[in-house]
Amino acid sequence: MLDTLLPILIFAALAVAVIGAGRRVRLWRQGRPARVALLQGLAAMPRRYLVDLHHVVGRDKVMSNTHVATAGGFVAAAVLMILVHGLGLAEGVLGWLLLAASGCMFVGSLFVARRRRNPPARLSRGPWMRLPKSLMAFSLGVFAVTLPSVGLLPEGFLEGSGGWLLALVLAAVVTWGLGEMVFGMTWGGPMKHAFAGALHLAFHRRPERFGGGRSTGLKALDLDDPEAPLGVEKPADFTWNQLLGFDACVQCGRCEAMCPAFAAGQPLNPKKLIQDMVVGMAGGSDAAYAGSPYPGKPVGEHQGSPHGPIVARDGKALVDAETLWSCTTCRACVEECPMMIEHVDAIVDMRRFLTLEHGNTPNKGAEVLDNLIATDNPGGFDPGARMHWAADLELPLMADRGAAEVLLWLGDGAYDMRNQRTLRALVKVLRAAGVDFAVLGNEERDSGDVARRLGDEATFQSLAKRNIATLARYRFARIVTCDPHSFHVLGNEYGELGGDYEVRHHSTYIAELFEAGRLHFKPWKGGGVTYHDPCYLGRYNGEYEAPRNVLKALGIEVAEMERSGFRSRCCGGGGGAPITDIPGERRIPDMRMNDVRETGAELVAVGCPQCTAMLEGVVDGGAEVRDIAELVADALAEAPQATGGGATQTQRPQAVEVV
Amino acid sequence: MRPEPSKTAPLEITVLVSVGRHPLTGRGRRADQDARGVELARALPAPEVRLLHAGALDGGSEAALRGYLGMGFDALTLLEQPEGADVLPALADALSEASPQLVITGERAEQGEGSGLLPYLLAEWLGWPVVNGLAEVEDVQDGVATLLQALPRGQRRRLKVRLPAIVTVDGAAPAPRQSAYGPARRGTLEAVPGPVSLDGDWESWQVQPARKRPKRLKIVKAASARDRFKAAAAKAEGGGGQVLTDVTPEQGAEAILKLLKEEGVLR
Amino acid sequence: MSEIQRRDPRKEWIARNRLHPQHLEVLAELGQGAASEWMGPSGLVRKNPHAVGFTGPHGIKRIDRSGVQQGAGGGVGSATTGAERKPLVEIDEPAFLVAVVPDMTGGRLSGHDRDLLGLARQLADADPRAPGAVLAVVFGAHKEEGFADAGIDRLVQLEAPELEGYAPEARLGALVAVEEAWAPRHWLVPDSKLGGADLGRRLAARLGERPATGVWQLEADAEARGEDGSGWRCTARGAAGTLDIQRPLPRVALALAECAEPVSETRHAAERLTLPQALPAQLSRIEDLGQVAVDPAGVALSEAEFILSAGNGVRDWDGFHRAARVLGATEGASRVAVDDGFMPRDRQVGATGTWVTARVYVAVGISGAIQHLQGIQPCEKVVAINMDPGCDMIKRADLAVIGDSAQVLEALVALVERQREEKRHAA
Repeated sequence: MLDTLLPILIFAALAVAVIGAGRRVRLWRQGRPARVALLQGLAAMPRRYLVDLHHVVGRDKVMSNTHVATAGGFVAAAVLMILVHGLGLAEGVLGWLLLAASGCMFVGSLFVARRRRNPPARLSRGPWMRLPKSLMAFSLGVFAVTLPSVGLLPEGFLEGSGGWLLALVLAAVVTWGLGEMVFGMTWGGPMKHAFAGALHLAFHRRPERFGGGRSTGLKALDLDDPEAPLGVEKPADFTWNQLLGFDACVQCGRCEAMCPAFAAGQPLNPKKLIQDMVVGMAGGSDAAYAGSPYPGKPVGEHQGSPHGPIVARDGKALVDAETLWSCTTCRACVEECPMMIEHVDAIVDMRRFLTLEHGNTPNKGAEVLDNLIATDNPGGFDPGARMHWAADLELPLMADRGAAEVLLWLGDGAYDMRNQRTLRALVKVLRAAGVDFAVLGNEERDSGDVARRLGDEATFQSLAKRNIATLARYRFARIVTCDPHSFHVLGNEYGELGGDYEVRHHSTYIAELFEAGRLHFKPWKGGGVTYHDPCYLGRYNGEYEAPRNVLKALGIEVAEMERSGFRSRCCGGGGGAPITDIPGERRIPDMRMNDVRETGAELVAVGCPQCTAMLEGVVDGGAEVRDIAELVADALAEAPQATGGGATQTQRPQAVEVV
Repeated sequence: MRPEPSKTAPLEITVLVSVGRHPLTGRGRRADQDARGVELARALPAPEVRLLHAGALDGGSEAALRGYLGMGFDALTLLEQPEGADVLPALADALSEASPQLVITGERAEQGEGSGLLPYLLAEWLGWPVVNGLAEVEDVQDGVATLLQALPRGQRRRLKVRLPAIVTVDGAAPAPRQSAYGPARRGTLEAVPGPVSLDGDWESWQVQPARKRPKRLKIVKAASARDRFKAAAAKAEGGGGQVLTDVTPEQGAEAILKLLKEEGVLR
Repeated sequence: MSEIQRRDPRKEWIARNRLHPQHLEVLAELGQGAASEWMGPSGLVRKNPHAVGFTGPHGIKRIDRSGVQQGAGGGVGSATTGAERKPLVEIDEPAFLVAVVPDMTGGRLSGHDRDLLGLARQLADADPRAPGAVLAVVFGAHKEEGFADAGIDRLVQLEAPELEGYAPEARLGALVAVEEAWAPRHWLVPDSKLGGADLGRRLAARLGERPATGVWQLEADAEARGEDGSGWRCTARGAAGTLDIQRPLPRVALALAECAEPVSETRHAAERLTLPQALPAQLSRIEDLGQVAVDPAGVALSEAEFILSAGNGVRDWDGFHRAARVLGATEGASRVAVDDGFMPRDRQVGATGTWVTARVYVAVGISGAIQHLQGIQPCEKVVAINMDPGCDMIKRADLAVIGDSAQVLEALVALVERQREEKRHAA
């Protein structure tokens, strides 16, 4: 009887799944068109899945192995089941293989079940709680129905009245398993992630991220086309592959565990945000969501539809504006996401609409943007006063020199009295190394970082285009800056607008200078030191080593914080978060200084003006906050065996050599 | 969004907007007080708010005018006037033709003479009352508007004025909403021809960037040179980074009180 | 000015020439020469060979090396200070009138009013052969007793119930009546938010004159004599204070504070005039409902003149709020106090909060993070109350009190309340 029932079941499930897939695809295709290399993507998909994705999943070894066993077992079992039971090819090795696959899957599902017994808060519950049972049902069911096929059980075992009953039970179990695993894959169960995730990997909006690459720059809006929408107002305004990406979410909550805003009790949870987008894409309310809510915002009060607004001008829609404005764009969620979903892109897309169409950048956002428009710096300072801090330094100006090896990009920190100390230190270091450098002086403008993260793409592009025009007038080998935000924007985001530069963070450049033997340091005499990775240097640009190398060269042994490197916790200063200033229960920099305190370090080295300001603003922080440039400048020593006119030697000839 | 007025007839408001100038960079922008005026108008239960500008249209001024459109308007009426024209006749014509009940404008322009005379001249021309320095329009009912006038040091005075009237807006009025790029880009500038009269006086005056005003010297009319010398040489009292350590709270309080009195901030 | 002093050039020359045999005699005769020696603050006799700066009769600082200390007039040591000794100037038959409409804030002439009267005197006294008279137009009751000392020759006091409060239309009617009665050559009005700016512009619009606004400098100028014959050229601020406009002085001028030195060396008649006919009755379209009570705590930080600002060192918040209330100060806060939830965000002072321009800024328990110090840069006087004598706020402060802020504030509150009590009893 099973011999006739099973093929029907299998092919019915497959047919229903295909219909479901069609429906799902229709949901995604509500999105805007996006240019994606479809065939190339599909061809690259297995590699992306097996290498890149598992690289991220592999950070949690147990879960990684569990997933390999369960998913691998399932895929093999499903294919073999179609062959064995669907097409009746039970002879020989296939049946045994099917037994092995389903057994492997069963073992995996045991681990899944163990995981679900006391799940951490970041995991969603709801339908996900039944997943281990479904997995077991499928694997056990398939295992059991395969036993007779390979002859481990007599053919007639399932005959007779008792056998009939058993067969019915088995059929029910297999149906359950098939329902969850095949039907649910395309109709919206937990297994949806497998279907959507596979396609998401194939049609990812940043294919550069696979194969060890890096793609972190935001994508530009087309402002020349008056018809082109300014950001995302409704779920259907996302590109179709963004919608697909949202659908790929497994609700594992790793993003939630990493999100600084969530930890600070601000109303943001990246996982919930992605789930809300899924709700919006299909239409409905978020009541079925079974994970941690946005802090302070109960689940079930928001709803949306594919063509309804995500953020209402008044009242509630799918998401509240303050959720979007809580993000520091630190990319911790993106870095951690095993499905490689691009949360930050989505958030900035929605912010763009709020700023460009609603004109509703909260708190000081509007003022900062007005300042950027009127004075080219967020503080509204006189553009002619940009170089006042360096009145005594006689910095060479590009306008006078026309060319230099290094263009020193000062950033808006030039107006900030704290950052001026860093800049002075950096100038001292560059001079000590005899670097041929020049600054733009009053010709420099804000890089546009803040404007862009606040969603004001128009102001960003205006600033960027003018900066690019200024930079085009001068010749230089590379740009060096002590501001990772400028670094990121100049290096990764100006390219789309026609400005391609080689940009170095000052820590990278100092490390290079040291390796070239152009800097000499006195031994370190201070106490314990830890290092805080700025998001825009680390996660955005992958520079984790150079700052540590510089500290090592200074003779400092870094006591690493628990969250450092690619898992570094944000200082709370990125993405315009201090400007939009969404209240939470704690402050992000306070939490970060607690991390510092746990290492017992007396000093925390940083490489970013924002981080310096945020961490230094912590009352009773315990540790001193110094920029790497300051530490280097303090440790500068003469070259050990300066021959003859050592001083002049370090100044001139080397500068010529390098060009 | 804006609540509909329940009983009163629809209130027609015209906001006169000008091209502002950023004090540091001189770039064109929404004039601060005018933008506050627009905000004031938007906050009212007014079904019809019209923006009116008289002046030349060029690159800089267009961006500034679009700034007003970005506050959520579809159109702005533009009385085209050449550079250096006296815009009063054109504005007066346009206003008497449109006959709004309330005209809102900033106290003075951020460019040109900036004498702040325009609302008064318009009022004189149209025979309407004019109220200056508004912080808020509280209510409009039966042709009478209740206004809050801003006084120095954050004080307020409540006034009633019979409409139609011209009111000017103080810098203490609520800050204008952000100008959004999308509506600013979409909105239209409806050019309307108007009478042009040239401002001859302005041509004949010498205009230059403002010099820093000399700080007034404290003239000491003392009997002897010695007293004058002492007055000239002595540090300003209470200043110069005086640090009181090891004093009782009372002594400290007295020193502070003395300074507060000298500065005249204690009432 | 009225005393005729004759100069003796020879004696002045001897007084300047220290090698002249008669030098000391002449100096003694001139009654000068002692100021180069005095007892220093520490008891030492100090010598200053140079007679260091004094202020000449025109308010210009002079350095006179002659040894003749005051007034090159070298005459009798005329120490003409003291109100009773100021010469009285009376202009019986003025060639013209210069009308001034002072603000009279709180019923008294304000500093701005006095500056304007000084300006009016410049206009009136320019030609000694045909002196003009300064006419002040004052509305309602006043408490001022020094009209004569402020340089007013004629005074019109207009009292009527309809002129009280904010009554610009009635006041304008009254000014027009003054214009009709005496036709002053110039109308000077303070360009101030306290009423002058409004009234002056109304007057100009009504008289059909194009006024000069924001006037801050006045010079005699033969070229400007033109057909009107004002003979004066003024410099006025335009375009929100970013332009200087030089133009002939029109009939109506609105002048800024410190446009001229107030009158200090002469007394004037302040003779009362009355309007020849009653004020015209007119229908007022503007009704004044009176001033609204405003809580100083609600005043916008950027507008506030006097800020009491709290930081991390404040423990006694009730005491702090009470102090702000008693002192009539606007409350501010450091970022920390805001972050900790003791103060609302709109009260945050500093580069990341509001940039304040207060005249007096009292920082209570604020150590002075750099962003905070940036935000209070424009403040004139900074007072710090802090436990830590080494903090940055103390370095910035003009007056710093080291001690427990709660106790100091309490003492300050007690002191202010006691003084107010005494004043009330005295009055």
